Amino acid sequence: MSELIKFDGFKDMAALLELLPERKKRMKEASAEPQTGDAMAALARALHPDIQRLVITDVREEAAGARVFRLVPDKESGASSLAVFRAGQYLSLKLDISGVRVARPYSISSSPADADDGGFYEITIRKKDGGFLSEHAWKEWREGTKIEASGPAGFFCVEPLRDARHIVGLAGGSGITPFRSMIKDIAETGADVKFTLLYGVNRPEEIMFKSDLEAFAAQAPDRISVHFVCCEPDAAWCGPTGFLTADSIRKLAGDPAGKSFFICGPQAMYSFLETELKQFDLPKKRMRREVFGETADVASHPEYPPDAAGKAFSMTVHCGSETTVIPAKANESALVALERAGIAPPSECRSGECGFCASILLKGKVFVIPETDRRRLAAKKFGVFHPCSSYPVTDIEVKVPLDKS
Amino acid sequence: MAEGKKAKLGGACDVVIIGAGNGGLAAALALAVRGAKPLVLEQHNAPGGFATSFVRGRFEFEAALHELSSIGPENNKGGVRRFLEDEGGVDIDWVPIPEAYRVILTDSGMDARLPFGEAPFIDAIEEKVPGSREPLTRYFALCREVSGALGLLAKTAANPSPKRIMKDLKKFVAESADPFDDARRNASNVVTFLRTLPKTVDDVTLKMGIPPKAVDLLYPYWCYLGIPMSRMNFTIWAAMLIDYIDYGAWIPRLRSQEMSYAIEARVRELGGRVEYNTRVERVLVERGRVKGVVTASGETIKTSAVIANTSPAQLYGSLVNPASEAPAAALRNVNSRKLGGAGFVVYLGLDASPVELGVNDYGYFISKTMDTDAVYGSMEKLDLVDMQATICLNNAIPDCSPPGTTIISMTTLYKPGVWDSVKPKEYAALKNRIADAMITQFDDALGTDIRSWVEEIEVATPATFARYARSFNGGIYGYELDPWDSIIPRILSEKEESYIKGLEVAGGFATMGHGFSSSLISGRSAGLKTLAGLGG
Ligand SMILES: Cc1cc2nc3c(=O)[nH]c(=O)nc-3n(C[C@H](O)[C@H](O)[C@H](O)COP(=O)(O)OP(=O)(O)OC[C@H]3O[C@@H](n4cnc5c(N)ncnc54)[C@H](O)[C@@H]3O)c2cc1C
Ligand code: FES
Repeated sequence: MSELIKFDGFKDMAALLELLPERKKRMKEASAEPQTGDAMAALARALHPDIQRLVITDVREEAAGARVFRLVPDKESGASSLAVFRAGQYLSLKLDISGVRVARPYSISSSPADADDGGFYEITIRKKDGGFLSEHAWKEWREGTKIEASGPAGFFCVEPLRDARHIVGLAGGSGITPFRSMIKDIAETGADVKFTLLYGVNRPEEIMFKSDLEAFAAQAPDRISVHFVCCEPDAAWCGPTGFLTADSIRKLAGDPAGKSFFICGPQAMYSFLETELKQFDLPKKRMRREVFGETADVASHPEYPPDAAGKAFSMTVHCGSETTVIPAKANESALVALERAGIAPPSECRSGECGFCASILLKGKVFVIPETDRRRLAAKKFGVFHPCSSYPVTDIEVKVPLDKS
Repeated sequence: MAEGKKAKLGGACDVVIIGAGNGGLAAALALAVRGAKPLVLEQHNAPGGFATSFVRGRFEFEAALHELSSIGPENNKGGVRRFLEDEGGVDIDWVPIPEAYRVILTDSGMDARLPFGEAPFIDAIEEKVPGSREPLTRYFALCREVSGALGLLAKTAANPSPKRIMKDLKKFVAESADPFDDARRNASNVVTFLRTLPKTVDDVTLKMGIPPKAVDLLYPYWCYLGIPMSRMNFTIWAAMLIDYIDYGAWIPRLRSQEMSYAIEARVRELGGRVEYNTRVERVLVERGRVKGVVTASGETIKTSAVIANTSPAQLYGSLVNPASEAPAAALRNVNSRKLGGAGFVVYLGLDASPVELGVNDYGYFISKTMDTDAVYGSMEKLDLVDMQATICLNNAIPDCSPPGTTIISMTTLYKPGVWDSVKPKEYAALKNRIADAMITQFDDALGTDIRSWVEEIEVATPATFARYARSFNGGIYGYELDPWDSIIPRILSEKEESYIKGLEVAGGFATMGHGFSSSLISGRSAGLKTLAGLGG
């Protein structure tokens, strides 16, 4: 073969050997300083902190049964800034309520610019009768209360490389919160998008952020328009009435073609709108919805196994090297059963989407609501389930991850 | 029932593996099949490190894997497949990649589709660049010899030395029956191997009389090693080229997450433990010996053996505790080496079929030129890089996304440090600007319009890889494989460069270099070495 292949034992051996002295020399000449910095880890931490320590500086009533809590970095615990977020994202608030560690997601209702330079986040909570966190917040949270939160999370954001230049937001009830952030952001940044908000409420006094939203629209009238639609109007109401339907959407937002629809509201509203929007024959990519948290009435799902309804099961839980047996109700997610028992696996979205609570089902069966089943294909194959969106239908045995803290 | 709250990891164990990436999982598997009970601690909530996937809307994206080498078909398994299936008992549904690659060079207008298999590969180049066949045939013979010899050395027992290598190589030539490498044997490879060992790819390739345009068609796999051909060690290149062209390339049907979950499940089945959400903050060392690890939640686990699926920079720079136990020689070692590229990936879920889009190949290398120094240079700026390595998953797995949709992911590399100055506030806009430019780069090269069909988009940057896989500085490519820091010098120096008793490194920063296959192989050998240390 070529001249490369002639044998010369000495030379060839030398070739091999010369690499080693070079290697040694380079290592000898290098510094012995440890590399402690990692700019990408620092950037990742700034964008996605495991935990943000916050303190409430202001509480205000926004509408009937809704309160806005303003949160700033808790200087006493060393925090000085807030993680940047994209309008539409949420925080998972973590707290102990009488010894039980729970987490709940809340959309950030303030704008990204509000959080700049050690600024603030606002979250807006609607009180829910019998609600575990919301009732606690009502009773206990005031100026000075310290709150722990996750980094900003979630995917309900306007994405210029994907969405149409004209966004139609369909909000129901407390589902207005991410839209307030988006609209304020568009008003503040001059982003090159149009936003039409249709906000459906039952009664006029339930409208949150009425004056804010009107002010943003006045600030950028060519880009932002806001419509309130009321189901049960009072005598003074002069706007549109009824549910948000295909007809009213078309009337208020114009031709649906070429627009992106963003939906956030209670589960019932989403199911209703899904049917209504079918009439528009939109491609899937033009309809985006926020996840809506844990399902209120799992047994009413058409695919739910009827004989499991109302039952109580036992759940054998392996967590780290410990094993516990706890009760689990058929109508509560496996995550709530774990939290009630004082085992708090990590959670963020509580909607099956983020994978934080991912656990392994070793024995037994759970019902996973097909619409909220966002597990990876391989996860399903290997028995991984998301307790936040899974409901026991037999006794089960599971392995859950440890809480980070 | 508050006891659940205090759940612990159990105080002590034989081997702790830090990280459930390819290296960590392979190490755990190698140990578990031999009866050891490793404890794997992973900071994320799923196994795999880069071997993972994620769901957006109705799409499940592969996070990192383009293609695996050393898998091969059922009747001619490569080393990695033998390890996972035959040795490990891990069952994975492997899918073959249809062709080697399509290369599009936008400056010259060169556009070629190259198949697997030496003869068809050379035929395809000959068709584009007449006169290539003869030099390429010689070139492949040369690469084959080098690859065969390297395959043997990778299996060389502990204590390699130049003398030992010489002896092994001679034996390799003399004996013919070698079950591990029968496809790769060739008699004259000792000399070729030694001769080319200190050479770069350019040193060897450009002397073979291959027409320059044919070299352009031959070089695209350089992207997988990420160091220009004027510096990349020829040995590793030859081995990679032969591996891909002979065995083809494969991917798990359910994304690389299938592989990581499959290994994880097998490790648990064999009595190993895998804990998520558990970050190791310290590796306790006393007088040069591993004593234990401490997790982020403050729990200490006593152990005499740790396998770190991390970079040596993180290991000696921040994990080893106390810091005085990180030997100066180890720190000098780390500082002398050059960190490979950091990843940037645009994931697209499109609501049109591949045929409708006109995207009919699996793997694309789209590059301004094949001047690898110039392309590498473009990775030093915070801007559009001159190259993207892009895959269209549907062209290997047609039903990987719903009918009428397509998954495309575009990858490029940045040099470490390029993203350092990025402020959180400008981050989202910056990654979108680059993603936007990469979509244009693709559409311009192929004459397509994928931009109009985006249903889901996600963009991963070096910070994303640092977040999910704790990869040092967002690096996805270990250390650069210059001749002095290529596989053979690493193998020969392993003993001398092992600084702490009971501590092994597995994964992309280990001896065998980066890439899925190399990381799995290095994980396996870290497992074996640890087992030997345990007296198992
Ligand atoms: C992405 C996202 C964004 C959201 N944004 C907002 C927002 O901006 N504003 C808003 O108001 N809401 C928002 N929500 C809804 C919010 O997260 C809560 O679901 C809502 O506030 C109700 O929580 P709750 O704890 O008050 O009630 P629930 O969680 O519904 O509590 C109901 C019942 O469960 C029992 N229970 C639950 N856990 C335990 C436990 N560990 N131990 C004992 N008993 C328990 C309680 O006793 C009670 O009977 C959002 C949800 C999602 C998914
Ligand atoms: S908390 Fe997000 S998937 Fe369960």
